[in-house]
Amino acid sequence: MVRILLRFSEKLVEQPITAQIILEHKVPINIITAHVNSKGGEVLAEIPDAALEKMVKAFRQKGVKITLPKLIEVDSEKCFSCGACVALCPVDAITFDEDFSVNFNKEKCLGSTCSACVDACPARAVKSVKQNNSELTGNMH
Amino acid sequence: MEVLKLDTKKNTRTLKEINAKIRTGDAQVLTAEEMKKLVESSGVEVAFKEVDVVTTGTFGAMCSSGAIINVGHSDPPIKIQRAWVNDVEACHPGAAVDLYIGATAMSETQPFEYGGGHVIEDLIRGKEVELKATAYGTDCYPRTRMKTNLTKDNLNQFYLLNFRNCYQRYACAVNSRDETIYTYMGKLLPRLRNATFSGAGELNPLMNDPDYETIGIGTRIFLGGAQGYVIGEGTQHDPQNLNGTLMVRGNCKEMMPDFLQGAAFTQYGTTLYVGIGVPIPILNEGLAKKTAIRDEEIFTHVVDYGVPRRDRPKLGKVSYKELKSGVITIDDKRIRVSSLSSLKTAKKIAGTLKSWIENGSFYLTSPVERLPIDSIFKPMKQTEETTFVANVMHAAVTCKENEEIRDVAERIVTRSVNHIVVVDDRRRLRGIVTSWDITRAMAEGRKALSDIVTRRVVTVKPDEPLETTSRKMAQHNISALPVIDSKQKVLGIVTSEDVSKLLGR
Repeated sequence: MVRILLRFSEKLVEQPITAQIILEHKVPINIITAHVNSKGGEVLAEIPDAALEKMVKAFRQKGVKITLPKLIEVDSEKCFSCGACVALCPVDAITFDEDFSVNFNKEKCLGSTCSACVDACPARAVKSVKQNNSELTGNMH
Repeated sequence: MEVLKLDTKKNTRTLKEINAKIRTGDAQVLTAEEMKKLVESSGVEVAFKEVDVVTTGTFGAMCSSGAIINVGHSDPPIKIQRAWVNDVEACHPGAAVDLYIGATAMSETQPFEYGGGHVIEDLIRGKEVELKATAYGTDCYPRTRMKTNLTKDNLNQFYLLNFRNCYQRYACAVNSRDETIYTYMGKLLPRLRNATFSGAGELNPLMNDPDYETIGIGTRIFLGGAQGYVIGEGTQHDPQNLNGTLMVRGNCKEMMPDFLQGAAFTQYGTTLYVGIGVPIPILNEGLAKKTAIRDEEIFTHVVDYGVPRRDRPKLGKVSYKELKSGVITIDDKRIRVSSLSSLKTAKKIAGTLKSWIENGSFYLTSPVERLPIDSIFKPMKQTEETTFVANVMHAAVTCKENEEIRDVAERIVTRSVNHIVVVDDRRRLRGIVTSWDITRAMAEGRKALSDIVTRRVVTVKPDEPLETTSRKMAQHNISALPVIDSKQKVLGIVTSEDVSKLLGR
């Protein structure tokens, strides 16, 4: 599965684009988060690897902007397992081990669409980092 | 565990006996966690017979910390008036070259991200720091400015000198406001969506000797990875309310960065995480019992940090066992909770201190004086009256959601106000409309008020200090705040004119 970030402009928000694409291509797109406001919408979606190219093309044809979401990275050298981030994580990607070490699960993390932990880290060990976008922009134009 | 040949009739042991056993490698040392298990399985009597020392530990943000640095004299000499280490201003309370770096002093170039705590950590790590100083110049100290780079090896003396550390327990923080707040208790989400706490609970040094039988002035302790000393009770020491604190000192040149770390709390500032461990000599059965205290027996209050007052409202009581479980319950609401202090490092400290005593590199001391057990934490005497929202608010002009925009516009004119608070039949807040919203709606030909009402309204409570209202208005770039009670009922309104009239006096 690959996570991609879909950006819908103010006008596109009102159209059922995602639903149309799912119906048309029969690809099970998993919507992880969705935020909509007056300026448009942002959807974090999970797409099966094999369908990635097809999906990116389909969304772009309808005017949706696609990027790879920023990831959250934890600097284990800096982290001293205080736990300030643990209760803030909405998807249990950050948990305590039995010995109270803070454990970060990249697979579960929502990335920069959430970022609740970033400004809560007293050690400044949590950072939002940009993913390499070349995979998307290079092959799929 | 090796069974000791102990005089079974004796029900006390002395510090001298314990130190003699440390010398021969026979001292029985348990961490506070291990002691609880032993007492649970074998009882107090057996635990007293078998155990000589119980080690404790805590590792948390301790803002009232800092280091005294004597940088030595330059040639020609300078009587430092102001000094900065890595752009963090040091306090210069003494003669010529004694600087005190406070943990919360912030860098002038990277405020809120780098501060005194980081300077102390960087020096302990062996990093080079930049010292800048200015002076007015005297006949004996002619120099007026200087700049140099230093490591800890270049410093004449470098001592940690913390005036309040090791709180026995601390409140659990939540936030009842509609917005996220950033406090010294960390990031608190709106409407009690998370909680934070600090302290090691059953591992906390003072919780294991609550009557200060063994901890006093001169007690040798683990401090920042080195041997340090208790030099007195900490400021705000409040033992009767189980809020005891310690004042401590130790040599930074011997300390380890794992146990002393600079930290930054968003929108609050910088601080220092300090590692402290105190050995409790098990001199009698009473101490064996006290060191068996468990998290479920240690309670603290859940406090609403959304109310910026000295006496913040208490919303409930929880045990450290609940706090460490990750979830607390307040009024049937489950709230996720996590610590700000590192329990992992607290355990490591208790374990490290245990191994020091076992291998004979750490001996226990007898305090030269006991710490006060009856002192009271006094509030500040204030000679100037503080103004609260209740003192300045006035009646709000209101409307109902089903009214016509034209009628509301008319009310704005006749009552000459800029803000109309939208309420329901029971005067509960539904939203707010401004004269600008109305003007725009009229220009666009809209008729229904419900289309233009702002529903996410920033509000205040009547007992909030006036300073917080101007802070909120500036933060959200707005000019009025409805005043509501805890049930959302509108009590009045405060506008920027009300605030500026008073603050501009």
